[in-house]
Amino acid sequence: MDLEQMWQSTLGEMEVQLTKAHFATWLKNSRPIDKKDDTLFVALQSNFAKTWVEEKYQKNIIGIVRNMDTSVKKIEFVVGNKNISFNKAPSEAKDPQAGASAELDFNKTDPETGLNPKYTLSSFVVGPSNELAFAAAAAITEAPGKKYNPFFIYGGVGLGKTHLIQAIGNELIIKFKGKIKPKYVSSEQFTRDIVWGLRNDRIESVKKKYRDVDVLIIDDIQFIGGKEKTEEEFFHTFNALYEGNKQIIISSDRPPQSLPTLQERLRSRFEGGLIADVSYPEYEMRVAIIKSKLQEMNRKLSDQVIDLIAKKLRKNIRELEGVLKKIIFYEERKQTDISVKMAEEIIEKATQNLSKRVNDAQILKAVAEFFSITVEDLVSHNRRKEVVEPRQIAIYLLRDISDLSYPYIGEKLGRDHTTAIHSYEKINHEINRNPALNQKILTIKDIIYKS
Amino acid sequence: MKFIVIRSNIKDAISVIEKAVGENTNLPILKNILIEAENNTITFTATNLEIAITHRVAGKVIEDGKITIPLSLFSSLIGNIQSDRLNFEKKENNLEIATDNYSAVINGMPADDFPITPKINNTEGYLEIKSIILKEAIQQISVASQYSDLRPELNSIFFNFSLENLILASTDGFRLAEKSIPANTFTIKKKEPFKILIPLRTGLEAARIMRDDEIIQIYHDENQVLFKTDQTEMISRLVEGSFPDYSAIVPHEFAAEIVVDRVEFLNTIKLAGVFGQKNSEVKIKIHQNKKAIEISSADQALGENNSILPAKIKGDISEVFFNWRYLSDPMKGVKTEEVFLGLQEDAGPALVRSVSDSSYFYVLKPILKS
Repeated sequence: MDLEQMWQSTLGEMEVQLTKAHFATWLKNSRPIDKKDDTLFVALQSNFAKTWVEEKYQKNIIGIVRNMDTSVKKIEFVVGNKNISFNKAPSEAKDPQAGASAELDFNKTDPETGLNPKYTLSSFVVGPSNELAFAAAAAITEAPGKKYNPFFIYGGVGLGKTHLIQAIGNELIIKFKGKIKPKYVSSEQFTRDIVWGLRNDRIESVKKKYRDVDVLIIDDIQFIGGKEKTEEEFFHTFNALYEGNKQIIISSDRPPQSLPTLQERLRSRFEGGLIADVSYPEYEMRVAIIKSKLQEMNRKLSDQVIDLIAKKLRKNIRELEGVLKKIIFYEERKQTDISVKMAEEIIEKATQNLSKRVNDAQILKAVAEFFSITVEDLVSHNRRKEVVEPRQIAIYLLRDISDLSYPYIGEKLGRDHTTAIHSYEKINHEINRNPALNQKILTIKDIIYKS
Repeated sequence: MKFIVIRSNIKDAISVIEKAVGENTNLPILKNILIEAENNTITFTATNLEIAITHRVAGKVIEDGKITIPLSLFSSLIGNIQSDRLNFEKKENNLEIATDNYSAVINGMPADDFPITPKINNTEGYLEIKSIILKEAIQQISVASQYSDLRPELNSIFFNFSLENLILASTDGFRLAEKSIPANTFTIKKKEPFKILIPLRTGLEAARIMRDDEIIQIYHDENQVLFKTDQTEMISRLVEGSFPDYSAIVPHEFAAEIVVDRVEFLNTIKLAGVFGQKNSEVKIKIHQNKKAIEISSADQALGENNSILPAKIKGDISEVFFNWRYLSDPMKGVKTEEVFLGLQEDAGPALVRSVSDSSYFYVLKPILKS
């Protein structure tokens, strides 16, 4: 466990034990500096804090820390912002574990920029479904703020939005050797900062924090919709940065025009830049992704297994990664190569979990709700256009999510099983070509899983 | 806890420590002071977590103990009580104050919740100096400083001790003042040369609470400074960062060297300042006869004025503009009858010092006129 994490959870426990005022006064701005042999060095913000903590909390803190790391016997508190560094002993012979933890350290998010260095443009797998977004991202790293400002990227969960926008930030740092200051925040973090600023009368310093950057990257902007003060603050920050020719990068799970609660003036600003989507990767791309992940993890799988994973998991790269990790974990535990059959089982289990929670009625209801029609319309013999597409989507979803048989689906909707097959195949085909349809289905799935 | 103490002693203690009481923090106990009774000494402590001041007074302690009570209440109570002899007794978390014909109970808080005053790490070495000397030095140089959150190193007093002397300096970026105290006026105990920055507030507070007849000891470690007298101790954090190297900006050669009567000069600047309320500018020019300087100011809306002040002048210079407030500030620091003013062409920095005493000087940048 790294020091930062350990100290954070220590603080978490102390926070529960102390009154708010005491915690804020004495421990709030503390941070771990180093661990040397059996001593942990922690910096506190003043001599008063040092004296107090040593007197009152020392024993308690040691107890908590030792629960996590028994090698700690002593804690030394030091004062100030001075970076006290100790000469680290030369690292011992590299055992695999040490290698792993070193890598974790490397991947630690930079508190200043909020970027995680593991995301790079070179590790991003490019295919037809994300070509445009990638090309725009690459262009931005050449000349931030000049072209494509703001850059708005949208797409479903687990398709690489966060990877791409963080990679832009990382690339900029490397390319401009720190002369360009990017900042990555989730919209939730942004909201939290605004609330903090309002509550503590420090809104000016929050403003400054966001307006002093050269590149502002905000992830999952859809969450600020409906939070008026945050939207307003974001609007002004947006304008200030835009005026100053600073690059703004935004990600969302849907295009600006489908962000329901967002104010009009914000939406129109998003639409003023470049909007790019990332959609579902095709089979070839999924294979490429799996192979690149395997390379990252230094692993190998048989082509058949890769083929199977790529075929079965089509909608979400994160899910695909999860399954891949699971398979590799199995392989490690069992110490054998994974056969196609075993892989199939694992995939089955992983994907079933999701669909089990959903029943047919929920799916039909969600579809009807989305298109503002009734469930009766869906099962009726009505063949108006407004009803036909929803009905096909409903069939597709019943098959896709619940994996029901065609005859059953047909019966459910008062149709022949061949109609069900046709509908499913039609949508399944369209989905890869028509982003608007893709978007609709994603939103409906959202409704289904969130209900 | 039970003790008897003379009212005037408590009044003194309150006036010494009151400025260290914390305000606006989320720790309400900082509004309190700590009272400790032990060995016929009563100790009062206040802190805002930046500085802590403790002051000891003598009294008759019948029973040891400690408590914290709100300062503002305590202070107005002591200010209005008429009797001289006050009896104090702690009952649970309350403090009872009684005289022959009066009694009061103050709700307190347990002393354990009061912040612990940090100790200095190095108690071996210190400087010992007459408080009047230090006090005067701080007052002389602090005029060149002002509170600023942006650059804390400017918001501070620089103590530079080099075995031969102790130099105090401060600056706000526009002007700078330096005072050097020769080593023969103080005692050095096991102290190596050091350079520290103490917060301006700490310096001013130290100057405020020092009594002229006391001897003061200065201790410091890597991040704290302690001012100590027989009765009072004040500990404060140090400012991180380093004081700008100012030796290069102190001018040694001047286009014009002017000597004027200090009080007259100060009055003339203040008079000129009447017309300089808005732009704060005064103009200084050498009179044609070379025996006087002209000090003038003007405001388009108000009017203008012009004074002539006799002076001893060497060299010549065209007109120079100053912020009149900045120019009047060092006149309080220069203690002699006559003041020396060194001016440079092209708005180079000007030097103000006493004619006979070279231990204090003040550098000021003129206002640039295109």
